[in-house]
Amino acid sequence: MTVVLGGTGIDGRTVDSMRIVADRERCEGHGLCADTAPEVYELDDDAIVVLLHESIPPELERKAEAGARVCPVAALRVES
Amino acid sequence: MTVPTSDIDLFADEVLLDPYPYFAELRELGAVVHLPANDVYALTRYDVIRTALGDPETFSSRSIGFNPMVNEALQGTSLASDPPVHAQLRATLTENLSPRALRGLKTQIDAKAEALVGELVAQGSFDAIDALARAFPLEVVADLIGFTGHVRDNMLRWGQAAMQVIGPMNQRTAENFPIAGELYAWCAGVTAEDLAPGSVGRGIFDAEARGDIPPNTAGHIIHQYLGAGVDSTIAAIGNIVALFGRYPEQFDLVRKDRSLVPAAFAEVLRFWPPINTWGRYVAKDVEIDGATVPAGSQAAILLGAGNRDPRHYEDPDAFLVERNPVDHLTFGYGPHGCAGQGLARLEAHAVIEALAAQAQRLVLGEELRVPSNITRSIEKLPVLEVVPA
Repeated sequence: MTVVLGGTGIDGRTVDSMRIVADRERCEGHGLCADTAPEVYELDDDAIVVLLHESIPPELERKAEAGARVCPVAALRVES
Repeated sequence: MTVPTSDIDLFADEVLLDPYPYFAELRELGAVVHLPANDVYALTRYDVIRTALGDPETFSSRSIGFNPMVNEALQGTSLASDPPVHAQLRATLTENLSPRALRGLKTQIDAKAEALVGELVAQGSFDAIDALARAFPLEVVADLIGFTGHVRDNMLRWGQAAMQVIGPMNQRTAENFPIAGELYAWCAGVTAEDLAPGSVGRGIFDAEARGDIPPNTAGHIIHQYLGAGVDSTIAAIGNIVALFGRYPEQFDLVRKDRSLVPAAFAEVLRFWPPINTWGRYVAKDVEIDGATVPAGSQAAILLGAGNRDPRHYEDPDAFLVERNPVDHLTFGYGPHGCAGQGLARLEAHAVIEALAAQAQRLVLGEELRVPSNITRSIEKLPVLEVVPA
């Protein structure tokens, strides 16, 4: 399953700035995303990544990106 | 622009023993450098390495090794396959190895490390390689897979040989093929009954019997656990002791703040990767930094050079436990990112915790290294004195 989330602008409108794509099939539960950006990522009971925000607040975009970057199996993708 | 060339031989003894000055020279020559001595194109800088590892269509895994025999022998494994076939093989391999599968083991592994380090600290002096770096992962992996008897005794030499034969066809590779063959033969014939009841190894055979994984794959999986999971982890644990001994002020930082344990391990891996060089097959022409690498050539991915790239890490030749380089290249990256990294972290974090809790200072004698094709590890590391915490 692939989850796609959009970013939200400061005025609350959805903007097509940054999107995080989580490939839950590829996720192996290493948890580095959640260690890096606990405000954005969590592991569920099966140790699979869960994105905590339906749309990522602008102030978390940098952390979200950092968390995606450290995924060792490239299960998280940032799309701009 | 043509690709710059260098006469450095990646598998010469002096390069294997201390590759970092040579890596620095190559990195400054270009992001990709042709090495006629090895008939490879070496990728030297962080960004190009990470991009290559994330692009299996261009950088195929059909030749991760540097001689045709080993690449032939690896056909059909997760290690040597490309998408889409790779995904299923990888899933089968990681089913019992992912952090998810290993969650229950942390307490047990921590307790083992605490007990072993406790004995060694009480003893006061010991060889860090034999008594800790080898003893600990061998015990963890043997118990995990359920090895008993003569297999347990052979794990070290089989694991070392499985790595050596990935090198070019030099004397080390030739000498180790027969030993790697023993491992191959044993794994081809292993049955559920050979493995301890309740072990992960036995579980893999149960999965095969249930039809959860394809027929005749259990032996291959055991082979990969042993081939990949022993020698590399041994190297990493030896490096932990060596670097904490060499940089006592860095060890003090970890002792005073245990939340630094994961960061310290990431830095050990960045600074001295157990595997510095890994292969890929260039499946199509690719332009790197303005120069074209032709389809059909062999690439050497210099993980250890990328880890020291000043374009990515500030002051890269300094060992700093607070750096937390979570994006280091030592486990690779992407679809082929080390499948055993969860287990490696469990083991290494347990050892660092135990050392930080029980030792205040490690006084080291001179380390002995022996050149080895793929794994860079310490052969002997005398701990002359442990100052207990």
